[in-house]
Amino acid sequence: MIRFESISKKFRGRPAVADVSFEVARGEIFGLLGHNGAGKSTTFGIALGHVHADAGRVTIRGHAVTTSRADALARVGAIFETPAFYDYLSGWRNLRFFVSLGGSVSRARMEEVIRLVGLEERIHDRVRTYSHGMRQRLALAQALLPDPELVLLDEPTEGLDPAGIHEMRAMIQKLRTEHGMTVILSSHILHEVEQLCDRVAILHRGSLVYCGRWQDAGPGGSRWKIETPDTEKCAAALRGLGLALAPDGTLALPASPDSAAVVAALVAAGVRVAEFRRLVRTLEDFYLERTG
Amino acid sequence: MRAFLEQFRGELLKLFARKRTYIGFGAFLGVELIILFLLNLPRVRGAFTHLIEEAGYSADGYLSGLTLAFFVLIWSIFLLGSLYLALVAGDIVGKEVEDGTLRMMLCRPVSRGRILALKLCAVAVYSFALTWFVAITALIVGLLHSGAGGLFVFAPMEKVFALYDFGPGLARYALAVLLLSFSLLTIPAVGFFLSCLDMKPAAATITTLSFFFLDSILRNIPFFESLKPWFITAHMSAWVRVFEYRIPWEHMLEDYAWLLAINATLVVLAAVIFQQRDFKS
Repeated sequence: MIRFESISKKFRGRPAVADVSFEVARGEIFGLLGHNGAGKSTTFGIALGHVHADAGRVTIRGHAVTTSRADALARVGAIFETPAFYDYLSGWRNLRFFVSLGGSVSRARMEEVIRLVGLEERIHDRVRTYSHGMRQRLALAQALLPDPELVLLDEPTEGLDPAGIHEMRAMIQKLRTEHGMTVILSSHILHEVEQLCDRVAILHRGSLVYCGRWQDAGPGGSRWKIETPDTEKCAAALRGLGLALAPDGTLALPASPDSAAVVAALVAAGVRVAEFRRLVRTLEDFYLERTG
Repeated sequence: MRAFLEQFRGELLKLFARKRTYIGFGAFLGVELIILFLLNLPRVRGAFTHLIEEAGYSADGYLSGLTLAFFVLIWSIFLLGSLYLALVAGDIVGKEVEDGTLRMMLCRPVSRGRILALKLCAVAVYSFALTWFVAITALIVGLLHSGAGGLFVFAPMEKVFALYDFGPGLARYALAVLLLSFSLLTIPAVGFFLSCLDMKPAAATITTLSFFFLDSILRNIPFFESLKPWFITAHMSAWVRVFEYRIPWEHMLEDYAWLLAINATLVVLAAVIFQQRDFKS
């Protein structure tokens, strides 16, 4: 659906994005992660033609953004963390204006999208009277109006309250399941990305440090936490199994022996096991591992 | 073409939905009423009468609505017009960059050239609308107050002194306003160019105003008389020469060719800069 090929960009000599390549397939929900200034917005900017890459190119549905902008962006919607509108115009007028820049959309389609984002009651009010959440929904409507195949969401839940975040998450899932859209989203809320995204790309200081299914990355096997008052005895018993207990009381367990065999061995060795639980590696753990 | 017109309609709607767009219209209406009031003061009226009678004419037929409209135009349009045209043109691109709405526009499959063309047409429409509004309201206010009559023209800077009956005077007035509309386009052209640069919209407005005021000040210094062709405002005031008994078309054509060249250069430069800019949050 969209391919980034070795894109690089410097601002005043400082690299913002350096040789970044990745691809997002049709129907995927893809997360773009990184600290502030890691290059996420620049990457989005290059994809939308807001920023000119110094090198490399972005193609959307096979069309290069730089040379075939109209074809490339014909079925693309985008929203930013701080959606900007003409405050002195109504939501309806704003939508009409933005949509006119990409062709025409029927009144029925507009009403359908406005209903989808839940703005039907306030759509004729001036945008200056809207809350942040309503602006975000208007931005989503603006992005969805041209019936996009690809939606770029730059920090879509920024500034939203918990209910708004939940609503936005449900909406993103709906876009994929019901409308078959491809979604690329950047977010600081890793829990959010973890729940939504099939794959992630992690940018760090402008470079791509990871791209793929984060669950598949890293060492194989699992990690466990052992709580016991008999630490020395426990360590000795584990050594007998060829395993090492870490100072923080965690244990890396390869595929064999399995956890049940380990617990049995510890009990047999007279170790009093208060707790033996699997540690789940979160996206946050993974992200911090990769970005230091 | 249909898509362009639809987009242009949207651009005009944006422009004319803002209250500040109308400040210029309101201000000019106020100025017209103030000038009308001042011209009615006995001492001012006396000076006026004296000037006409010195030329060997009777003042009665020439202290008319048409004369009043002419003086409103020549005294106020440049200073006040510069202000409001610079205000709108300085904002037209820069404010959208500052507010982030330009990035929203650029998310759509529309070229940067198209966006710029829409904005250029919108400021041109505003410039024409403001000029004609001032000209027509000045004439209406003048006619309501002083009635129809001859036109008395006195423009010392352009060395024009003339008197016309109502019919020919009105025709000259209409032609002058048409030419004035083209003259004033240079102000939004400069504002538009600066608005495309990486600067705050307020800075674009102030720089535009400063440029025209400086140009006008320098032009008015008698020692710089020989440098007159180099001042833009000298070319911009060519519209007044339409009131000369024999209209110097060849000189006026030269003036407007200069202005056209300047405007075209500014627009091309603006387009090149706009195309190359990066728009980030």
